[in-house]
Parts: sequence; structure tokens; C-alpha cells
Amino acid sequence: MEILDSYLRAVKRYLPRAQSSDIIKELSDDLRSQLEEKETAAGRPLADEEIAAFLRQHGDPMTVARRYRQDSPSLTIGWELIGPELFPMYLIMLSVNLVITVACVAIVFLIMHAPLTLNVFVFPVLIQIVVLTLVFVGLNLVRRKYPQPWYYPPAEISPMIPVPRGYSIAGLILWGPVLLWWLAVPFVPFLLLGSAAAHLQLAPTWHRFYVPLLLVLLASVAQRVISIFRPHWTWLVPFMRLLINAAGTLVLYFLVFKSRTLVVVADPFPSTGQYDKLAESVNGTLLWGVLGPWLWIWAGISVPIYAWYCLPHLRRMLRGKTGAASSTVSPSQGK
Amino acid sequence: MTPGNENHALFENLRLELRRGSLILAVLVMLRTEQYGYTLRKSLADHGMPIDEGTLYPLLRRLETQGLLVSEWREEDKRNKRFYRLSAEGKAILKPLLAEWQGINTSLNGIL
Repeated sequence: MEILDSYLRAVKRYLPRAQSSDIIKELSDDLRSQLEEKETAAGRPLADEEIAAFLRQHGDPMTVARRYRQDSPSLTIGWELIGPELFPMYLIMLSVNLVITVACVAIVFLIMHAPLTLNVFVFPVLIQIVVLTLVFVGLNLVRRKYPQPWYYPPAEISPMIPVPRGYSIAGLILWGPVLLWWLAVPFVPFLLLGSAAAHLQLAPTWHRFYVPLLLVLLASVAQRVISIFRPHWTWLVPFMRLLINAAGTLVLYFLVFKSRTLVVVADPFPSTGQYDKLAESVNGTLLWGVLGPWLWIWAGISVPIYAWYCLPHLRRMLRGKTGAASSTVSPSQGK
Repeated sequence: MTPGNENHALFENLRLELRRGSLILAVLVMLRTEQYGYTLRKSLADHGMPIDEGTLYPLLRRLETQGLLVSEWREEDKRNKRFYRLSAEGKAILKPLLAEWQGINTSLNGIL
């Protein structure tokens, strides 16, 4: 039972290491006994979808593992802000975010030849802590209110779990405004350059990358819209996202590393030292403060994750094809 | 949250608290005879005390850590299973616990 094994592996990830093997052995026996009972009642082996439905009913791996933990740390101030299921992930995300933030701030300041003091890190770090904490407090509220859905099922099980509509809508709420922002940038450069738009303009190189990035954003929004209406097209999410992130990585790579000049001094202004320096600062911030980290997230995190999530779908497709092939071949073999 | 929801949540909390103590007692009583988790759960359900495995197994582990149960892995039906039974300490504690529960039950019936 491949799905059950994947499920158990996912539960094991969240268990205390010293007892995990023992707990999984026992849980495995119990779940197998229940599935066997269902098979006996049905008089046939259960289909993958039926096993997935049973496991879904059993609970998401994080919650199941939580019940075995007696030392579950959480963020509680009078009432529970981040529960024990999410707290370990919160700590990991916070650590990764803070390392990236500190590295980005340091790089931007070094490129701008600005003095690097402790003060320059305080605001970005505080912002990261506040934003991430608020996101996890929100997730915690959702989990408490709707404990059943699995927001991030293990990769092997994901083909059988319909994409939650709330997840697609949340993505739409996030990426819809980004798409609108991108559409408005050529007409309102202030949206990208801020107050520097009075003296700077987008470099000609933008014309080469504008449409490809627009297509990437459009595809991202389109995938969410399709997933809202077709939640059972579970393959769509990893394949589309892999494509989107890979395309985005390529576009950003050429934008960041091949066309280093993203803004230039606006036409009516003389290319004096003052405006050149402003253009250099904005280029540095855009390259290393905005596009660079985005490139890193797309190439370093999203592409490998979505590639990993594509594998079970590919395996299922291949199994389906092999099954179909063998069923069409066997009668002729018998002749 | 509406008042109806609040009442329901409160009832659920109180019900769980009420069940928690009774479940421990039921598990200890059932484990006077050796059983493994799955059959224990079925026996409890047959006696009107359904319990999901996510609650039962952590409870069994806790009772074992407290020395009230002992367990061993054995093969049955070509599969390794963990069999639990009441320990000597568990047997000693079960007697006064049952007496206590019967006392509470009598008192409550009197009050009601």
C-alpha cells in the first residue's frame, strides 16, 4: 500500500525521533487492520482514491503526530496564537526568512557602499517577524476552524486530494493584485520606482522582459482560477507551477544577470553624477533587493518543490499507461 | 461565534473532560486481558465507548510510561503487533480506582 506508506512517512516526520519508529509500527498495524476490514466488507481490494479518502478522514499527518507529543511548544499569550502543529514549521520559516533578510540587506548595503551598522537590520528583521507571525496566526485560526482539510498533503498523496478552493482563492488574492500592479507599471512608473520616478525611467531592456513576465503572472492567476472550478485536476497545480517557476527563473536570470541596467536617468535630466548615483542605487535595490531574492526563491525553492510534487503524478500516469498497455496486450498474447 | 456555537463548543469541552477519566478506567479494565490496540479499540466501541486511534495510542503510551501497563511486540497473523496488559502496579491501582468511581457514581445518582 504505497499511499499508506507515504502517509506514515509523513506522520513520522513530525514525531519525536526517539519514539517515531515504534509509534509508526503500531499506527501502521492499526491502519492496515482497518483497511483490511474495509476490503473484507467490500469484497475487493480498495482503490487508491478510497485509501486516500480513509486517510483524509484519519487526519492530516501533522495533527495525527501532535497527539503523540507531550512536549509540544506553541506561541501562547493568554490564548493560543500558533498551535503546536504549526509551531515547528513557524520556527523553520522564521529562521530561513531571517537569514535571507539579513543576507539581502547586507548585500544591498555593500553594493550601495552604504555604512553597514546593526540599525539597518532592525526594521527589516522586525517586519519579517511581525508579518510571518501574523501569517501563522491566521493559518492557526483557519486550522482550528476547519481542522479537516490538508493544505499541504505529502507529495505522494497529493494526486488524490482535491485542491482546496480556499487555497486557490488565497493565491488569487495574492497574485491578482501583483498582476494588476505589473500591468500598471508602464503607465505609472511610480509603482515600481517610487519617488525616484520623477528623475528616472525604465531602461529599454524592460521591453524585452515585460511581456514574458506578464505571461508568467497571467499563467499563475489562470492556474488558480482553473483550480477553483476544477479542484480535482490535482496535476494542474504542480505541473503549471513548475512551468511558471521555471519560466520565471529564466526570465529573471536574464533580467538580473544579463541586463544589469534596469533604470536610467530620465530624458529631460542631464546625466550628472547626482542622477547617475540615484540610478545606480535604484538598480542595485531592484537587482539585489527585489529581483535577486525572487529569483532565488523561484529557482532554489519553488522549482525543486514542484518538480518533487510532479513525480507522483508522473508515476500514476505511467502506471495507468502500463496498466492500459498490459490489459490490451494480454488478450493478444493469449491467442 | 454565535451563542449556539459557543454552547456547543463548551459542551464538547465538558464532554471530553468527562470522557477522559472514564476512558482511562475503561482501558485499564479491558486490559486485565491482554489485547493489542486495534482489538482493544473495537472492544471499547462494542461496549459503547468509541475512541479513535489518535487518542487511544498516546493514552496507552502514557499509561505504560506511568507503569500501569506493560507491552510486548509479538507476531500474529503474519504481522507484528504490540500487545498490552495491566501491570502488577496497574492491577493494584485499578481496585481502589474502581471503588472510587463507584462511590462517585452513587453520590451523583443521589444528587440527581
